[in-house]
Amino acid sequence: MGELLVLVAIGVGTYLMRAAFLATAGARPPAAVGRLLRHVGPAVLAAIALPALVAPQGRVALDATVPALLAAAVAGVAWKFTRSLPLALFGGLVVAWATTWLLT
Amino acid sequence: MSTATGSPRAVPAQAPLRPVVLRAAADAVPVIAAYVPFGLTLGATLAASGISPLVAWSSSPLLFGGAAQLLAVQLLGAGANVAVVVLGALVVNSRMLLYSASLAQHADGWSRRARWAGAYLLADPVYALALGRFTRPDGGGDARTRLAYYLGVGSTLWTAWMGVTAAGALLAGVLPDGLRLDVAAPLTFLLLVLPMLTSRPAWAAAATGGAVAVAASGLPLGLGLLVGSAAGIAAGALVGRRHG
Repeated sequence: MGELLVLVAIGVGTYLMRAAFLATAGARPPAAVGRLLRHVGPAVLAAIALPALVAPQGRVALDATVPALLAAAVAGVAWKFTRSLPLALFGGLVVAWATTWLLT
Repeated sequence: MSTATGSPRAVPAQAPLRPVVLRAAADAVPVIAAYVPFGLTLGATLAASGISPLVAWSSSPLLFGGAAQLLAVQLLGAGANVAVVVLGALVVNSRMLLYSASLAQHADGWSRRARWAGAYLLADPVYALALGRFTRPDGGGDARTRLAYYLGVGSTLWTAWMGVTAAGALLAGVLPDGLRLDVAAPLTFLLLVLPMLTSRPAWAAAATGGAVAVAASGLPLGLGLLVGSAAGIAAGALVGRRHG
């Protein structure tokens, strides 16, 4: 039950952040906050993605790290040239499968 | 809308919304395909987290955001302090403030109710698809059309997310490791970051955030993410002050 309450609390907090400027018509973030907000997306998403690519499932190992980093590189290049999310993602995953298969 | 009658740009007062909603659903399909591997992994992680699978899955309707769901359920399963779990998940989701402020600029003419309802559906891919359409030269149509498109994209992705994460939870333990679905989650986030890297400060924020999070990944329970995020935001602000 405690766990559900934690999830509800996060849900309410998240909903309020989603509604913060959208639901209050015309509200704009203060200039100083707006300047910081711009960097939240790249900073947070990179901070989630990079550690998980360097150490998949929490371990740095040849057969875990190499496929993940190669997949990331291929996905990045595929995205740059096609701007297609599914193509880049599945391209990266296929490379991860292939290198994992080769290394094990 | 009826006041538009006679104006040279008059469109039929009640242009049919069906094509708009269908367009929205069609635009959502490739994005859903791209989210399937991550959704399946997340579902499997939810089921294996050590807390009741149904409670874990309820994070899908409650949070509707994979990154925060993953963090919250992993930390809860590891028995982390409640304050750390809530704080960590809210920091992960703080980018919703940015999306909210940005989307608000395209929501003129939406009713209060539509805004409160729309806020619930505001997630990374919904935001990306909606902004892609609203920043076209025609602005994505009138307020009614834009709202129909936004709600169409949002409800399609929402429904798919509920289904895919549930499927992942049911398939937990059946999905072979060789599929490397563990790579799917970080790859998805990487592909969310890339479109944001349009300026020097954005690059600085992402590079610093990622590097510091890697360096700090030995810290207990999600703290590396918080440290990395804070460092990334600071770096972005610092470079932004110099380069505008």
